[in-house]
Amino acid sequence: MRFGCSRQASRTIEIELTPMIDVVFLLIIFFMVAAQFARITRAELDLPQEKGEQEQAAEEAGLVINLLADGSIEVAQRTIGIEELLQIVQEEIDRLPSGDPRNVKLLIRADRNNDTATLNDLFNRLRSLGVGAARLATEVPR
Amino acid sequence: MRIRVKPSRRRNERITLNLASMIDVTFLLLIYFMVTTVLARQEDRLSPTIQTETENPSGESSDFQPQVVQVLLIDGEPAYQLGPRTYRQKAELRQALESLPKTAGVFIRVHNQVPVGFAVAAIQAARDAGFDQVTYVPAQ
Repeated sequence: MRFGCSRQASRTIEIELTPMIDVVFLLIIFFMVAAQFARITRAELDLPQEKGEQEQAAEEAGLVINLLADGSIEVAQRTIGIEELLQIVQEEIDRLPSGDPRNVKLLIRADRNNDTATLNDLFNRLRSLGVGAARLATEVPR
Repeated sequence: MRIRVKPSRRRNERITLNLASMIDVTFLLLIYFMVTTVLARQEDRLSPTIQTETENPSGESSDFQPQVVQVLLIDGEPAYQLGPRTYRQKAELRQALESLPKTAGVFIRVHNQVPVGFAVAAIQAARDAGFDQVTYVPAQ
């Protein structure tokens, strides 16, 4: 009586890669969409080519104000007038726990080719609200 | 009766993994990240304090007067004025600022019609020169 085991001289083990490929493509689509959103929230501007303060600590962006090359003001992809902008800034100040306008966080992204008339006007009006400082966005040169 | 059960031995067993799809995906990812790295521009910021010309600089009198850099147009070209001297380049302004006392800070007085890039360059020059307190003053 012989008990023989089945012998497979050359056995091929196949790993099913289809789910992994599905997941990888999903990841690609996710990152592509996320990149699109990132570009939408940042208006296309020719920012001043400066290295900036180069502080490593992450800082909250706060209210992002875009000053476009044609002098118009854009906030959250919406073109607005200076009066409406001041209202939005005031709302930001009111939302602060301290209510101190010096603590409001503003990031101004101004086109470098634009003249400073709009920026100066904005700063004068922000100052009248009690805002003590603002951050000017720069593009780090390569 | 003797029964001997031998463990199955697979001497010439070959495991084949089909890696072609994974390599395809990896290359796609590599290309994707290369393209997005080119698109994404690195941004930073400069944080000057703001002050209007009608305000008293610090609200109280001080023994030290801040340095004042004027950013204006001279003969239609943007320029920086520090005291009696005029500079056209940011590097020159920075060099001039480096030798000045920094206790009272520096005021960057920006006139209208100057490109924003020059105003921001003046703030950067002051920071690079070692001034911690940089104030943006819109010229009336």
